[in-house]
Amino acid sequence: MEHRSRPSGIRPRTRLNNDSVDPLGLVLGALADPNRRQVIGYLSERGTATATELTGELPMTRQAVAKHLATLADAGLVESERRGRETRYHLTEAGAEWDDRLDALVRHLQRRTAGP
Amino acid sequence: MIRREIVLPAPREDVWEALTDPERLEEWFANDVDLDLRPGGGASFRWSNGEERHATVTEVEPERRLAFEWEDEGEVEFTLDDDADGTKLTVVESSPQWSTALDLQASALAHA
Repeated sequence: MEHRSRPSGIRPRTRLNNDSVDPLGLVLGALADPNRRQVIGYLSERGTATATELTGELPMTRQAVAKHLATLADAGLVESERRGRETRYHLTEAGAEWDDRLDALVRHLQRRTAGP
Repeated sequence: MIRREIVLPAPREDVWEALTDPERLEEWFANDVDLDLRPGGGASFRWSNGEERHATVTEVEPERRLAFEWEDEGEVEFTLDDDADGTKLTVVESSPQWSTALDLQASALAHA
């Protein structure tokens, strides 16, 4: 099968129904800051990182890193995943939602084939 | 643009029904589905986490093609093709938000 499934523990991104939210504005705003672009660059190189790892690698305080990660997450560019006691961050892969949906469709069709 | 191709273990007729019959959509896509299957018809999807999305059907070609436009943004197209192992389903979703996010990520990488 060509599609990949999402590691467990990551929730599909939900969309806000609030009309006042401007998704493109959030993305552009998130990317306007050079420090946040550094965070993106690091995550794209390493795949995932914790806020602590990012703080060690980038010339920013832990507080600043946490704030930038929250802004990137609000814009849908970064997702977090809890693994045990740590929270790891990675770049959002567009299409991961469809991988989950198509997995569900395959299971649905298989259930019917095997059905009563 | 997001594109996924998958071969489903079912005939085209069955896959079409799974994509267009609200009762079947409720078994894999969303918890509560309303769908008026005709161009211009409305569709509503509700999930158990409270998320709700609305769409307008733009294209209906039975057992072959279904397209709709999300009310918030983006467009989804399903295309069904016969395959030796069942049905090949192609899903294409385009959304201005995603394409921009991806383009900008790519350019951020190029200049990193």
